[in-house]
Amino acid sequence: MTETHTPEETHEDKEVLMELAGLGRSFGGVKAVDDVSMKLRAGIVTTLVGPNGAGKTTLFNLITGQLARDTGHITWLGRRIDKIRPHEAARLGMVRSFQDLRLFEKMTVEENIMTTFERSPLPRITTPAKRAERREFIDRILERCALTDKRNTRASDLAYAERKFLSLARIIAAQGRLWLLDEPASGLDPQSYNRLLGIIREEVQTGVTVCIIEHNLDIVIGISDRIAFLDRGKLLADDTPQVVLNDPKLASIYFGER
Amino acid sequence: MENYLANLGVLICVYSILAITLNFIMGYAGIFSLAHAVFFGFGAYTGGFIALNYTSSMFVTLPAAMVVSAVLSLLLAIPTLRVRGEYFVAASLGLQILAVTLFTEWKGFTGGIGGLVGIPPVSLFGTEIFRPTSFVIVTIVALIVTIGIFHLLVHSNFGRSLRAIRDSESAAAAFGKNVPVIKTVSLAISAALAGMVGALYASYLAFINVESFMLDTSVLIMAMVIIGGTGTQLGPIVGAIVLLSLPSAITYLNFLPQSEIGAIQQIIYGAGMTLLMLFRPGGIVGSGGK
Ligand SMILES: Nc1ncnc2c1ncn2[C@@H]1O[C@H](COP(=O)(O)OP(=O)(O)O)[C@@H](O)[C@H]1O
Ligand SMILES: [Mg+2]
Repeated sequence: MTETHTPEETHEDKEVLMELAGLGRSFGGVKAVDDVSMKLRAGIVTTLVGPNGAGKTTLFNLITGQLARDTGHITWLGRRIDKIRPHEAARLGMVRSFQDLRLFEKMTVEENIMTTFERSPLPRITTPAKRAERREFIDRILERCALTDKRNTRASDLAYAERKFLSLARIIAAQGRLWLLDEPASGLDPQSYNRLLGIIREEVQTGVTVCIIEHNLDIVIGISDRIAFLDRGKLLADDTPQVVLNDPKLASIYFGER
Repeated sequence: MENYLANLGVLICVYSILAITLNFIMGYAGIFSLAHAVFFGFGAYTGGFIALNYTSSMFVTLPAAMVVSAVLSLLLAIPTLRVRGEYFVAASLGLQILAVTLFTEWKGFTGGIGGLVGIPPVSLFGTEIFRPTSFVIVTIVALIVTIGIFHLLVHSNFGRSLRAIRDSESAAAAFGKNVPVIKTVSLAISAALAGMVGALYASYLAFINVESFMLDTSVLIMAMVIIGGTGTQLGPIVGAIVLLSLPSAITYLNFLPQSEIGAIQQIIYGAGMTLLMLFRPGGIVGSGGK
C-alpha cells in the first residue's frame, strides 16, 4: 500500500504469525465480515478500529473458530488451518478476551486463572515444588493485574475494573502467542488503562503478538504499531498509525458515525 | 426396629449416592438430567441379571453395572452436546420414557413387568451379605468411596474445567477446554456410579422391577439435589436424608389422626418443599441466593 515506507516501518522484517486471506461471513444477507485479508506479524500490536457493528468482534470469532466462516482461509505460522474449533485454536496459542468478559463467575479469581493454564483436564498429582512454582506464577499475575487481595474472591463479586483485569489475567495465564483483545480498555479510568497498556507492552517485549479492538484514540495512539480499519465488514486500511490517522476519508467515517 | 433403621440407612446411602452423582453433572457441569433413574436401573438389572445367571461376587456385578451404565450414558451425551438448558431436560425426559418401555418389554434381561425375582445377595470374598445390618455397612463404605471420588474430581483440574464450562462454555472453549469430551466423561462417571449403586440395590432387595426406575425416581433424586443444595458437597446427602426420613418421621407424630396420616404426610412434604425453595432457593446447605 505505502511504497514510501521503509521495511522497518511497515514491519515487513517481522515473521508472519497469522495471515487472513479473504475471510468472510454473512448473517442473513448482511456481510458482517467481507473479504478481509491481513497479516499479523510476530511481536506487533495491531489495533482494530471501526464504528460499532463494523464486524470487529465477528472477525475475532472467525479467527478463533467461534463462528464458521463462509469464505477465505487462515494461515498460522505458514500452515493452513482450515477448520478449527475454539479449543484447538487456544491450543495453537491464540487466546482471546470477550467484549462481555465471560468470566467464570462462580469461581474465585485464583481458580479463573488456574483454569486457563491447565491444558489437560486429567487429574494429576502435583509435587510440592510444582505447586510452589505455580503459586509464584499466579502471584505474579495477580500483582500485575492489581488483584492480589482478591485472590479468593468470586468473579461475580468483583468491581467493574477488577473484572476487566481478571479477564486479562486469564489471558496472561494462558501463555499464548497471539492475544486477541476485544475492547479491554472500555470504561476504564486512566490509571487502569495505563496499567493495561503497561501489561500489553511487557508482553509484547516477550514476543507476544497482539490484536486489540479499541475506540479510545489516546489508547490507539499509545499502543499501536499498526492500525487496521474496518467498516461494514470491509478492511479499509491496514497500515502504520501515521498513515491511517491522517487519512481524512477514514476520519470522516470514524467520527461521522458518532 | 433394628432392621427398620438398617433398612432406612441402606436407602439413605443408596439415594445419597444417586444424589451425589446427579449433583455432579447438575451442579458442576450444568447438565439437568431427568434420566438419572435410567442409569440406576440399568445398573440394577445388570447386577441382578449377572447374579442370577453367573456369579453374585461384588467384584463382577458392580464393575459390570458400572460399565453398562457408563456406556449407556453416551446415549444421553449425544443430546447434551447438541442442545442446551431446557431442551436438554426434555431430551433426558425422552430417554427416561424410552428406558421404562425397554425395562418393561425386554423380558429376557429385565424379567418384564414382573421384574427379576430371587436375586442372590452380593458376596464379598465368598461371604454372602444379606442381613440389613451388615448390608448397611457395605452401602456406607460405597457412600464414603463415592464422596471421596467426587471430592477429588471437583477439586482437581478436571473439576475446575467442568465448573468453568458451567459458568461460560464459550470462554472455557476459548481457553482450550474440549467441552464435548469433558461433558461426556463427567456424564459417564456419574452414570457409572449410579449403575454401581443400582447393582447393590438389586442384591439388597433381591427383587427389582420397573417401578423403582421410573420418572418419579428421577424426579425424587433431582429434588434431593435441589433441596439439599445444588453444587454443594453435603447438599445431596442432606437432601436424601430429609426426603427419605421425613415421611417416616411424620408417622411418629402421635397426635395426628392415624386415618388421615397419608394425606397429612403429603401436605407437609409438599408445603415444606415449596416454602424451602421460596426462602432458601440455594437449598438447605446452599448459600441462599442465586
Ligand atoms: N451471531 C450473530 N448473529 C447475527 N448477527 C450477528 C452475529 N454476530 C454479529 N452479528 C452482526 O454482525 C455485524 C457486526 O457485528 P460485530 O462483529 O459485533 O461488530 P463490532 O464488534 O465491530 O461492533 C452486526 O451487524 C451484528 O449485528
Ligand atoms: Mg464488538
